[in-house]
Amino acid sequence: MSRKQKISLSEDDLVQALRNREKIAIEALYDMYSSSLYGVISRIIIDTATAEDILQETFVKIWHSFSSYSTEKGRLFTWMVNIARNLSIDKIRSKDYKNQNKNHELENNVTFIDEQRNTVYKTELLGIKELVATLKPEQKAILDLVYFKGYTHMEAADKLGIPLGTIKTRLRMSIQQLRKYFN
Amino acid sequence: MENLTAYIESGILELYALGDLTPEVRLQVEEMATQHPAIKAELNEIERSIEIYAENNAVEPPAHIRGIILNSVLTNFADDSTFDTGTSGNNAKIVGLPAGQTSSFYKYAFAASLALLIVSGIALVTLYNRLQQSSTQLAALQIDRQRFANRVNLMDEQLNIFRDASFKFLKLQGTAQAPSATVTIAWSPVKRKVLIDMGSLKMPANDKAHQYQLWALVGSKPIDLGVFDKNPESTNMKEMKSIASADAFAITLEPKGGSINPTMSEMMVIGKF
Repeated sequence: MSRKQKISLSEDDLVQALRNREKIAIEALYDMYSSSLYGVISRIIIDTATAEDILQETFVKIWHSFSSYSTEKGRLFTWMVNIARNLSIDKIRSKDYKNQNKNHELENNVTFIDEQRNTVYKTELLGIKELVATLKPEQKAILDLVYFKGYTHMEAADKLGIPLGTIKTRLRMSIQQLRKYFN
Repeated sequence: MENLTAYIESGILELYALGDLTPEVRLQVEEMATQHPAIKAELNEIERSIEIYAENNAVEPPAHIRGIILNSVLTNFADDSTFDTGTSGNNAKIVGLPAGQTSSFYKYAFAASLALLIVSGIALVTLYNRLQQSSTQLAALQIDRQRFANRVNLMDEQLNIFRDASFKFLKLQGTAQAPSATVTIAWSPVKRKVLIDMGSLKMPANDKAHQYQLWALVGSKPIDLGVFDKNPESTNMKEMKSIASADAFAITLEPKGGSINPTMSEMMVIGKF
């Protein structure tokens, strides 16, 4: 990579530094999480420029509202990715964005993005990459629909014509699958 | 414990981690997590696996936006430090983003100018009104001053009459026609001047069709010295026609404009030297 060495901190140190509003914290945050967050954003928003705008808004919002995060509520990434997802979903549901992008079928985004962009392969995650391939197609479909396209589980149930309970079960199973591999 | 297992297996924790719950339900889950370490641990595991799934699906954002984003985050930092964009090995120079500040500066400057303009306008109108008032007052004062100057001149002249030894003062007494009437006249034979002291004039008011007429009697011949009105506001010395010699003065009430010969029956006052 041509970039200088990325900054990386432990999650506890990072949270502490963010609380103290240290400049290095936001740099570390960006280096550690921008690609994961951008992965989510760019699957929800197909337009590159808009996705970049939302990534920016996400970091600004994380920085400004960091006081509302507490470690008791869960992991930092979960909190951040929810900000990114909410901003993205608000954007694609906003009137001006809909008018701009009437011709796009949002459902095709996931495969489109995967073909168009280089996803990052981290060596420590190679095993997981295989796992994702082994997720059952219906598990992956639901997970991606909810996680990457901003569907609520209710909307996903509607779209796939599957009972709500089954949606929940499949979501749980797919995450269980991920966990099994991770452990 | 069974309840907890059921809770975990309901899939609600996954929905929580995926951000797919209403704020109320989120709070309930957070409450459960703080009360039950088992739920907390389960939630943490779920979140970690989703985190890794996201990392696995990560897309590297374009390198050049790192600097842009970090700078936009830090515009509210008190210092003006900027970040290396990281676009390449060399240190790309980042100029801070004054654009936002500049535009807001101009916005405020414009608002301030507008406010100043309005205030100036109001001040101008107010001052103009004051100026108008002052001009009016000044004009009124000048008229007053002129009137007083005239009055002072007049008084001076009148005062000179009293200082002038050539003037004789004669009090005309009322006749049977007007017993209480009195008039003082000043006469200088040298200067051939006759004046009536309107201030001490005590005579009945004349109507609009009549005027008083002053006569000088030379021998027994009456000579017209002019007409006047009884004006209660007048206090000055009214100068009448001139005469060099006279034995007596008399005033009669005549039709407006005066008569050639006095109407003796209307004689109001008379005085002899």
